[in-house]
Amino acid sequence: MAIWVVGLSYRTAPVEVRERFVFSDDAARRALGALTSGGPLREAVLLSTCNRTELYGYPADGSGAGGEDRAREMLAARAEMTLEEADRYLYRRGGADAVRHLYRVTSSLDSMVVGEAQIQGQVRTAYEVALSAGRDRRVVGPVLGRLFESALSVGGRVRSETRLGTGAASVPSAAVELARKIFGPLKGRRALILGAGQTSELALECLAGDGVDRIVVANRTARRAEALAGKVGGRSAGYAELPALLRETDIVMSATTAPHYMLTRATLEEAFPRGRDEPLLIVDLALPRDVEPAVGGGRGVFLYDMDDLRQIVDQNRSRRENEVPDAEAIIEEAAAEFWRWYASLDVVPVLRAMRERADRMRAVEVEKALRKLEHLSDADRAVVEALAVQLTNKLLHEPTVRLKEGAGNGQPVMAETARYLFDLADTDDETTGENG
Amino acid sequence: MVGTLHLLALLSYGGAGTVLGLSLATARRDPPLTSLLLLLGGLGLHAAGLAVFTTRHGDLPLVGLGPSLSTLAFLTALSLLLAGALKEARPVGVAVLPLVTALCLAALLLGIRPTGEAVRFSDVWLLFHVVPAFLGYAALALAFAAGLLYLLQFRELKGKRFGRMFSFFPSLETLDRVGHRALVTGFVALTLGLLAGTVWVTRFAEAQAVSVKIAWGVLTWLVFALALLARRRGVTGDRRGAAVAVVGFVVVIVTYIVLRVAVPSGRLFL
Repeated sequence: MAIWVVGLSYRTAPVEVRERFVFSDDAARRALGALTSGGPLREAVLLSTCNRTELYGYPADGSGAGGEDRAREMLAARAEMTLEEADRYLYRRGGADAVRHLYRVTSSLDSMVVGEAQIQGQVRTAYEVALSAGRDRRVVGPVLGRLFESALSVGGRVRSETRLGTGAASVPSAAVELARKIFGPLKGRRALILGAGQTSELALECLAGDGVDRIVVANRTARRAEALAGKVGGRSAGYAELPALLRETDIVMSATTAPHYMLTRATLEEAFPRGRDEPLLIVDLALPRDVEPAVGGGRGVFLYDMDDLRQIVDQNRSRRENEVPDAEAIIEEAAAEFWRWYASLDVVPVLRAMRERADRMRAVEVEKALRKLEHLSDADRAVVEALAVQLTNKLLHEPTVRLKEGAGNGQPVMAETARYLFDLADTDDETTGENG
Repeated sequence: MVGTLHLLALLSYGGAGTVLGLSLATARRDPPLTSLLLLLGGLGLHAAGLAVFTTRHGDLPLVGLGPSLSTLAFLTALSLLLAGALKEARPVGVAVLPLVTALCLAALLLGIRPTGEAVRFSDVWLLFHVVPAFLGYAALALAFAAGLLYLLQFRELKGKRFGRMFSFFPSLETLDRVGHRALVTGFVALTLGLLAGTVWVTRFAEAQAVSVKIAWGVLTWLVFALALLARRRGVTGDRRGAAVAVVGFVVVIVTYIVLRVAVPSGRLFL
């Protein structure tokens, strides 16, 4: 098994369960320090987001599932559950499956919205938190260090080499995508939001995030409108001002809970008696609809409702799905590369022993030779010493490369052969080393 | 040498157009960098071909139909490159590059060598006439491409069709900006070209011999003027301006072909 992961995600647990397993950065540092001190676990990284909590581990003996039970107990304790209760939601992966799982997570293939960008940053943060954890010794060593570095690199490759992350994947972001197709960059554009509920807030965040800097929130209750507008430095207004507000806006997003149309053709004609010259994008995010369909027939008006936006989201999602095989191919390639590196760790003790033996022999032989050559100047002695070092390095270079290759290609017999040929002591008790 | 360089330029332009076409077919959002590199390569080869022509024949590549079409193709590709400095405008190449490729092919088929009588380019008025006029036609081709994409994107947005064109084409605002700049540049250039041409005809040439060319030039100038006039009012004007640029370009091309067939044109540049 070697590397393993234990955790839960939106696939195995509802939100009310997931939220009980959430770790803050400080809590994660403390948990990682406790898990890796003195137990069978050598390395650990804890990934905790709103959609998943996962603990990646690497045991001290480099094999088996050492520390996994302790990790499960720690997770259960965090959620204030018994181990049996927690086990109903926890999944486990080991070895190649664990590596592939982390690569898929980092590439957002395992995300609720495939292709979303945040997960890569969350994995990076989890890794950085683990790097800063542990008082007496580091909790991230060569194995998980290499694994997380390669996972972040895989995530970057998937984003740059496939189109997994392109196109809006949520309704508010689809509305912004539409706005960009009409107005280009939204910086400096004006927006009017009707309603001050949760959907309006999402729309407001999307617009402000895309550079819209003059936002007006109109609502029946002035206080809620003020609170929402205040979040982005906008201003609030009442529905009575609607015709005047329409004249001063480029984008309207409507998400009220009104049972009738809030924006009618008559309102539009009142605002623009001679028609509107500039484009006006109106996005109706409400159910039942806020905007009378006839408004869409107005000159320069582009009107879209939820069904239109869902069409964009579905198309983008299906386009992203088409990219999954390419992303999986990148993951398989990287996983194979990781395992080649991991297998080469088996020969590290052999290589170290070879090097130490060769260095010892070199030092002894050089000393002997220099005793017989006392007439040499300091410069000449330095040349002799350098010659010995060069010879040792050159002689060891090819065997070192071949041993690493052999181990990476699944030929452990080569390490045994090297032990025999170089008459090395048993090196099995050596660990994977700190510099792998 | 001139022919080989032109052939390589044609292949580069064709390659760039194909890359953009494939991007449209697969609903890509950004045109790949390959298309820009191929366009740059084509322009470099094309410039080299025109330079070799000038060195070898001691005359600008405006003498004869083949060289003139080649120069027009070069200027049109150059205008696309300038428009493409605005990254989001690069998909416009999907409509411009087939035109450039067709012009290059026509030039190659006609032969890129001087034909007809030599033109006295030492006469500065003639140079002031021909160069701005060619720039004007290149700008009209760009305005046509931007206008065409504007109309198609507008139709997608109004019709709530979010397919390949919606994904690949730039925003209405970008297309309008490219089209507007092309129209203004082309209008100014062609106006200067026509004024310089009028001076040249008055001083040195027989008006009768170039009347067909004048008529064609005035027609093109009118297309520019109409397109600019049409787009005076907001989004409706933008759309109308785009439509005039598209229809006007087609009218100019059709008129040219009719004139070519109907009128002996020994002294026409194009």
